[in-house]
Amino acid sequence: MFASLNWLKELVDIPVDTPMLAQRLTDTGVEVEGLEVPVALFRGAVTARVVSIAIHPGRPDLFVLTVDAGKRKGVCVTAARNLEGGDVVPWGPPGCVLADGTEISCRDFQGVTSEGMVLSAEEIGLPGIADEYGILRMGEGFTPGEDARAALGLDDTVLELSITPDRGDLLSMVGLAREVSALFPEARYKGITPAIQPRASRLDGFEGITLTDSGCPFYALGALEGVNIKPSPMRARVRLLLSGMRPISNVVDATNLVMLLVGQPLHAFDDARLPGRDITVRLAREGEMILTLDGKTRVLDGEDLLITSGGKPVAVAGVMGGEESEISGDTTRVLLESAHFDSIKVSRASRKLGIPSEAAYRFSRFVDPCKAETALAVAMEMMASWGAGVPSGWIAAGEAAQKERKVALTSKVLGKIIGTGDLDMATAILERLGISTGDHDPSVRHYSIPSFRPDISIEEDLIEEVARIRGYDKVAAELPPVMHATGDITDRMRAERAVRSTAMARGYSEVVTYCFVSPQSIAALRFPGPDPRSSPVALSNPLSVDMSVLRTTLVPGLVQAVLKNISSGWRRAIRIFETGMVFFRRGREVEEVFKLGGCVCTGVDSRSPWGDQGTEDFHSVAADIEAIFASRGVAVDLVPGSEPFGHAGKTARVLADGRDVGYLSALKPEIESEMELPAPVFLFELDMGPLVHDGKATFGEVRKYPPVFRDISLVVKEGVYSSDVLALIRELGGPLLEEVRLFDIYKGKGIPEGHRSLAYTLAYRDPERTLRDDEVDQVQGRLRDQLAQRGIRLR
Amino acid sequence: MGDIHDDVSRIEALFRSVLSTADSVEALQGVRVRFLGKKGEVTSLLKQLGSLPDDERPEAGRVLNELRDSMERSLAEKTRQYAGAQVTAREREEWIDVTLPGRGRPWGAFHPVAQVTQEAIDIFVSMGFSVAYGPEVEDDFHNFEGLNIPPHHPARDMQDTFYLENGLLLRTHTSPVEVRSMRKWGAPLRIIVPGKVFRRDSDQTHTPMFHQLEGLLVDENISLAHLKGCLEAFVNRIFGRPLKARYRGSYFPFTEPSIEMDVECVACSGRDPGCRICKGTGWLEISGLGMTHPNVIRAGGIDPVRYNGFAWGMGLDRIAMLKYGLNDLRVFFEGDLAFLNSKGERR
Repeated sequence: MFASLNWLKELVDIPVDTPMLAQRLTDTGVEVEGLEVPVALFRGAVTARVVSIAIHPGRPDLFVLTVDAGKRKGVCVTAARNLEGGDVVPWGPPGCVLADGTEISCRDFQGVTSEGMVLSAEEIGLPGIADEYGILRMGEGFTPGEDARAALGLDDTVLELSITPDRGDLLSMVGLAREVSALFPEARYKGITPAIQPRASRLDGFEGITLTDSGCPFYALGALEGVNIKPSPMRARVRLLLSGMRPISNVVDATNLVMLLVGQPLHAFDDARLPGRDITVRLAREGEMILTLDGKTRVLDGEDLLITSGGKPVAVAGVMGGEESEISGDTTRVLLESAHFDSIKVSRASRKLGIPSEAAYRFSRFVDPCKAETALAVAMEMMASWGAGVPSGWIAAGEAAQKERKVALTSKVLGKIIGTGDLDMATAILERLGISTGDHDPSVRHYSIPSFRPDISIEEDLIEEVARIRGYDKVAAELPPVMHATGDITDRMRAERAVRSTAMARGYSEVVTYCFVSPQSIAALRFPGPDPRSSPVALSNPLSVDMSVLRTTLVPGLVQAVLKNISSGWRRAIRIFETGMVFFRRGREVEEVFKLGGCVCTGVDSRSPWGDQGTEDFHSVAADIEAIFASRGVAVDLVPGSEPFGHAGKTARVLADGRDVGYLSALKPEIESEMELPAPVFLFELDMGPLVHDGKATFGEVRKYPPVFRDISLVVKEGVYSSDVLALIRELGGPLLEEVRLFDIYKGKGIPEGHRSLAYTLAYRDPERTLRDDEVDQVQGRLRDQLAQRGIRLR
Repeated sequence: MGDIHDDVSRIEALFRSVLSTADSVEALQGVRVRFLGKKGEVTSLLKQLGSLPDDERPEAGRVLNELRDSMERSLAEKTRQYAGAQVTAREREEWIDVTLPGRGRPWGAFHPVAQVTQEAIDIFVSMGFSVAYGPEVEDDFHNFEGLNIPPHHPARDMQDTFYLENGLLLRTHTSPVEVRSMRKWGAPLRIIVPGKVFRRDSDQTHTPMFHQLEGLLVDENISLAHLKGCLEAFVNRIFGRPLKARYRGSYFPFTEPSIEMDVECVACSGRDPGCRICKGTGWLEISGLGMTHPNVIRAGGIDPVRYNGFAWGMGLDRIAMLKYGLNDLRVFFEGDLAFLNSKGERR
């Protein structure tokens, strides 16, 4: 919200300078986001009367004016055609600086010297105050010879304020003035007192106001006759503009100025264009339509509160008026609405219809019902004083007054929160806010809450008022005294930390990618229909289609990061990992599964001084997975498996203690080329669940006797998995066989086509004694025989 | 020949002195010749043994032989040291370029936000807070109503929400975990909640997903002083030095009073009117906080008359930006390795 400091000063005496005011407002909860002098560069112009106008002797498209600024007269040349003798205009004599910083000097127009220039609204920096093309005619109330800045009300400071949603009362100059007066004990609140006293009577020829819904407990109409729609007075236009609103016409501007002043939104109907001689406030019918004054047709539902006349909708209550009864240039009779609307009703309608109007903004944040009649009186008085119309009647329905509310404040709770339970101090502060009490008890007092502070309903609300005005700096910092238990990061975070440290130590960089991805990025992974990953949960209101569904896999984010790196010139190997949630639909709920994902690719430039040893392959990534799980004491096995996006020959399921926790896969070559990724790309995605409980609880026994090693070479068909052979050796090896390790794979000379040789080293050990060579030979011989019997060729 | 023991002492002292100055294999060879060579000092004494009386000869022989052995040992030991410094042909053959980059993978990198999160958590854990988690997909009750934000409350405008099907939504703050944790553990309670949150907003300083650290303390007789104490201890530790703090009135539906905490600018300490980090204000918004609203304590199933508490929420991405001097939030979510691996590089 923008607030003119000059306007504020009309309503309250401010005993401090502007920076101090801003500081105090900010500290107490009204953040001053900016202090701006309007059109700060514009200076040196004066008001001047146009004395004479003549056509330039050599240039028929120009006029030569003589202008009179009291002590000083001058000659100006202008091309503007809107001036008449007697008009008061801003004159920028030589030395005057325009809003854009241009300095004005004398200028020759074919023999006629123009002493500076007469100015347009644009040159002053306020195009919004103009109501016609040409030079700014300032209108009534301006005398020649004044400084133009001062005359227009530009020697001001505009405060840009951020008002929190609980303080609807501060969305008005009167409310702000009251708040300022509470911040400084020396400040004096002046407020407003309209000369016209609000007094409901009858309205000739008007049938009456009917209120049918609790969403509108009070509704008043003021009538103006002989309305003459024209621009508002110049200073009113400037004031509106400084407050962030656009001048439109005298009647509309008056409603807006009063809203800014009092906080009560008003609406002006063209009486002649109302379809009936009544106003009825009721709930809309499902599907009922209204053309609002922004030119859009709105479809309403049964919860929208509607203003109707003659049975037809004329306004969405508190949100926006209808176009058909809008004020226009030929309006002659005006009905001015000032009503109280329920904040929830207005808030709901405003959001649903997408109309964030100033009125709806205020009603959503609660408008003091007691202000409705005052606002109407001030507006009618303002219009009358501008000659916009003659007040001719007043009618109201419903009850504006609120039940008195009291809230108790105890010394005990106040003392607990802010460190002092002094209720005299509290009362002094609260009374400055208009919150009063007649109590003098030192331990508990009951305070009357004014109608403009609906946000105060419990003791803690009063404590906040006392604490913020007293200053939070008055409370000394102190650590809480009693620690009942030690803090813990939990097993889940211990697992996360172990995983992250291990991954990083093995050369992975951690990435964080968005939880929402594009549906295409998931479709590209070719999940079949029954796979839960194929049907992600969609956002109802995504920012873009690229961020429109919740990820069911970490792969799209990882792949996106790889592509981003390659496009921004990263040429070396890419190793990235992410831990985070993926999301699945489970009935009406969404299930979140904690995953670890990784992506490794050799990159565009895989050259290395170490040759092939420097590049990545499936097995190097497998070792990373083993290490990551080992860091939490969990053993993993890779078994043949598949993924719809995985290379058919290079995909494994990862088993943690026998349970399937995910996959390691090279990306399908077809997808690699589709996504323009540098092959090969390895992906893994694993459940974090098994890592949460640390498996490293025990160690094995210390072995006292040495092992005896024997090697064995087997020839198997291509396609036979080493892990199967290994399992067979383990099965057949007998109780003395402690460990089997693959140490060589060989294809080529001596091995038949379509076969390969796998060489294992076997460790035999007896925990009770040293083994003799001959008994190991016997066991090994038996193993060889048994393998041979199973059709495995020995080398 | 005089007393053999005098000669031995003299020669031994001389030998030690000469040996200590010998600094090469050649010099050591010279020492050997001088003392143990054919005409060496010890050798000539040994030659004179025959001229000694029979009763003195064995004792003198023993002493001289001991001296000779001890010199040999000293010379051998020192020779080994110097000889080790010499390059053999084999070593020349086996030369490698020791300046090559190390084989294997380089050190990876933690994400800056994850790094800051870990540091922040450790600080609060030291103050007795434990980590709690909650779902990223929330329902309206936990994200709004349980936090004293009824439907159509204007406070909902403060946080633009992403909605899903069936009335579910992506949590707009980590605060829902407050109610969940109170219901799970009751009072007294000290929790911190790190996590992702989501708001419909996107520009240089806003991303639709970011990270918060929520904190909640519920106990008996908790005051604003305790809130300030915890948060100031945190700020001073995370930025590594004591920073001035200021507290401004604010509004959150789930705290009462509600406060904004600012700390002095970590870049300029308020001394640079043109500072880009604090925009010349000298202050940085660091956290929204306050005393937990009794309605929220009640929604958490705890008696708000006996217990009260405080809560705060802070943006971890923002703290990471401040700590590492970054000015664009969006880079956190692009996975740019040149950026992620640049920590420690001079800017």
